[in-house]
Amino acid sequence: MSATDGNLDCGRVLDAAPYVLGALEDGDSYREHLEECATCRAEVAQLQPAVDTLPTSVPQVAAPEALRARVLTTVRSEAELLRAAGSGVDQRPRRNARWRMPRVSLAGAGAALAAAVAASVAIAVSLNVTSHERVTVAQVHNLPGTSAALHQVGDRAELVVSGMPEPPLGKVYEVWLRRGSTTVAPTDALFSVTSRGSGSVAVPGNLHGVREVLVTSEPLGGSSHPTSEPVLRVALSA
Amino acid sequence: MQLVATGDASAFEIVLERHEDAAFSLAYRMCGTRAAAEDVAQESFLAIWRAGARYDRTRGSVRSWTLGIVHNRSIDALRRSSVHDRRRINDDGLAEELEAPDRTDLQAIDNAASSEIRVALGELPSDQRRVVELAYFGGFTHTEIATMLNTPIGTVKGRMRLALEKLRGQLGDWQAVRA
Repeated sequence: MSATDGNLDCGRVLDAAPYVLGALEDGDSYREHLEECATCRAEVAQLQPAVDTLPTSVPQVAAPEALRARVLTTVRSEAELLRAAGSGVDQRPRRNARWRMPRVSLAGAGAALAAAVAASVAIAVSLNVTSHERVTVAQVHNLPGTSAALHQVGDRAELVVSGMPEPPLGKVYEVWLRRGSTTVAPTDALFSVTSRGSGSVAVPGNLHGVREVLVTSEPLGGSSHPTSEPVLRVALSA
Repeated sequence: MQLVATGDASAFEIVLERHEDAAFSLAYRMCGTRAAAEDVAQESFLAIWRAGARYDRTRGSVRSWTLGIVHNRSIDALRRSSVHDRRRINDDGLAEELEAPDRTDLQAIDNAASSEIRVALGELPSDQRRVVELAYFGGFTHTEIATMLNTPIGTVKGRMRLALEKLRGQLGDWQAVRA
């Protein structure tokens, strides 16, 4: 039954149209409401097919070939990792690796911290951070022009990078988690970046107790032990 | 998608091949530049690869699911852009700006469908079409649209609903055919 047929027995049924268009500000609240309101569910079901046609109203153009190449590079790396994990694929992340963290000079650390604080301010302004989102800026090592930040919303975390060079040929970026002072655990989060140097990757698992999120450049398929120094570090408060 | 959910890269490649043009086109329409569209499309397809298990065929086609993800990512990109150029939302001339090599024969069918839906959109009353375009392609919220158009929020919501109802009626079973 559509609201246009006069069935307005729910006060929120008019939210269905902006909801399916992605324009309802309290979309999460409405999504919860849909669980219990048959009228609104019916309205959404009625309107959704029209929205599904909208992308096709756009003039169709060919995607750049480089896009497919970059996506498939990451996908094949991750598929290889999944195959290697075999039946233990659900046991993520993989077993911990021992890794001695490189020493950072005091002066270098100070400069990095200052840069991180400055970047934090800039990003906090530009990213429209909500009260539920926590953004932590990464320290960048030996990658001029790169910026990165970890976005956390609830239990979800996503590392977003920009200005980052593509990994060397035959390599992929891999995310690691450090809980203790030296213990580093690999994750199955592998990623590359676009030609403009941007990219994002979901950081798997629970970050409770994680002190640092790190990124290194590793062979395709990832490594169980880091083979290079981290290029990104995100320090998390306990 | 069942194979994709098990980590089958070859299956994913087929999905990518089928939908990359539509995904890129939508992102380009929303973001306004090829570079930004490329970023959004790449992020979207990697999200699809990693979330393949969440696809529910009872809730729509792979294409709709894919383009829904691209749409959400495009909105995210628009809303966090420091140079949020949403003025392009009414720019229907993007296709004409492209050089010939950007188009392919394989897009002929999609372009025909695209044309049909653009006609349907064009037949909507302008105030209804505008709120749909501002919301869907511009990434504006209903409150922002109400402020922008100096129109009550309830009126904006009502126009959105009327527009979608009319579109649904005009396009009939188009979606089922496409799926």
